[in-house]
Amino acid sequence: MPEALLSKKNQKIVKDGLWDANPITFQILGICSALAVTTQLKTAIVMSLGLTIVTSMSNVIISLMRHFIPSSIRIIVQLTVVSAVVISIDQVLRAYMFDVSKQLSVFVGLIITNCIVMGRLEAFAMSNPPWKSFLDGLANGLGYSAILVMIGIIREIFGAGTLLGFHVVPQWMYAHGYANNGMMVLAPGAFFLLGIIVWIQRAISGYAESA
Amino acid sequence: MSKMNQTTYTFVFATIICVVSAVLLSGVSEGLRAKQELNAELDVKKNILKAVQLAEPLGPKMKPEDVLKVYESRIQEIVIDENGNIVEGKKPKDIQESEKNLHPVYIYQEDGKVLAYAYPIVGQGLWSVLYGYLAIEVDGTTVRGVTFYKHGETPGLGGEIEKEWFQNNFKGKTVFSVKENKVTPIVVVKGKAKDVFQGEELNYHVDGITAATITGTGVTDMLDKNIKLYEPYFSKIRKNS
Repeated sequence: MPEALLSKKNQKIVKDGLWDANPITFQILGICSALAVTTQLKTAIVMSLGLTIVTSMSNVIISLMRHFIPSSIRIIVQLTVVSAVVISIDQVLRAYMFDVSKQLSVFVGLIITNCIVMGRLEAFAMSNPPWKSFLDGLANGLGYSAILVMIGIIREIFGAGTLLGFHVVPQWMYAHGYANNGMMVLAPGAFFLLGIIVWIQRAISGYAESA
Repeated sequence: MSKMNQTTYTFVFATIICVVSAVLLSGVSEGLRAKQELNAELDVKKNILKAVQLAEPLGPKMKPEDVLKVYESRIQEIVIDENGNIVEGKKPKDIQESEKNLHPVYIYQEDGKVLAYAYPIVGQGLWSVLYGYLAIEVDGTTVRGVTFYKHGETPGLGGEIEKEWFQNNFKGKTVFSVKENKVTPIVVVKGKAKDVFQGEELNYHVDGITAATITGTGVTDMLDKNIKLYEPYFSKIRKNS
């Protein structure tokens, strides 16, 4: 009997990606991009969308081919598929969403080397059917997105006094000596935030690293 | 495949993957090229129009055809050589890669009256090559506007060069000191310009970006190089005006 599209098992796949095995807070993957693109919320959102699409699409493609991929070259095959998907997306953006592609120029290419994409291919798509793999990619992408958006909001508000480019810190606060926090704009600010988020998430979920 | 040797199979598989992705990517690239090139050209024209500070600025939602119409009616494209002489019958797009002595100038006119001269500026930032346009008033000394439209600097840090506040710093600055009769390329300082300089020196120093000193130095270098490159042409303009 075919399994329901959102059976208990499949729900767990989604929940794992979003919460229990969140790629950033649990697997500690994709940290580099989480620091690089979160100075502004807008780039964080676009990067999140890009990564979510790439992870789910390449998960499906690899899952479809999983019985045919010789295990000795599986990493190369995964990398080829990821690169092809990323480059195609970049080309489409350049043709139809030129302004967005200009802002993202370097980041889109960076998706290829994002550990989450390869991590999910290797850990999940290689041994699971396409629909499950799609859910897994989607959930991990969204789990990554949630953290990025949180960090992006905090960094933009405290680092630049804006949110999505609009001023949110009122002028009178600056007049009374308030200053933007320079550390938020730099990578260390993101590191501290990330640490705090991991801490909170693990305190709630009760997870502890085994010695 | 049952009888096929494992190594042979691996090679066959790898070849198929390579060929399929190569064909796919070339297809995508070829199919979208025309549209991408049009976008890039439109972006350049928009930035020239932005640098010269149009009397009626372009609307944010303007259609591509309308932008091109404005561009064609207001901008005259010419080419100059290293001595600042106009090369007759040549357009910027005719300049070949090898003709390093030829440079484009975009003249902004409104009802037949020249209002500004714009030219491209290119230079190395921290992570990437910065591209922009600098527009000079008819007096040949005052900056009318500047744009940086393509770069790969860190958003929030060096990436701030694309923001209005940074580009507005340049308006009204001078690239030539009449009093001392010398070129004064604009320098991006660390911190606020008015804390360090005063009087005439303030005319060619602008505020820097916090935590983006190297990008600022890059902007200084690119302005230095390009302003000197175009000086022969502008010295003629100053003489004639």
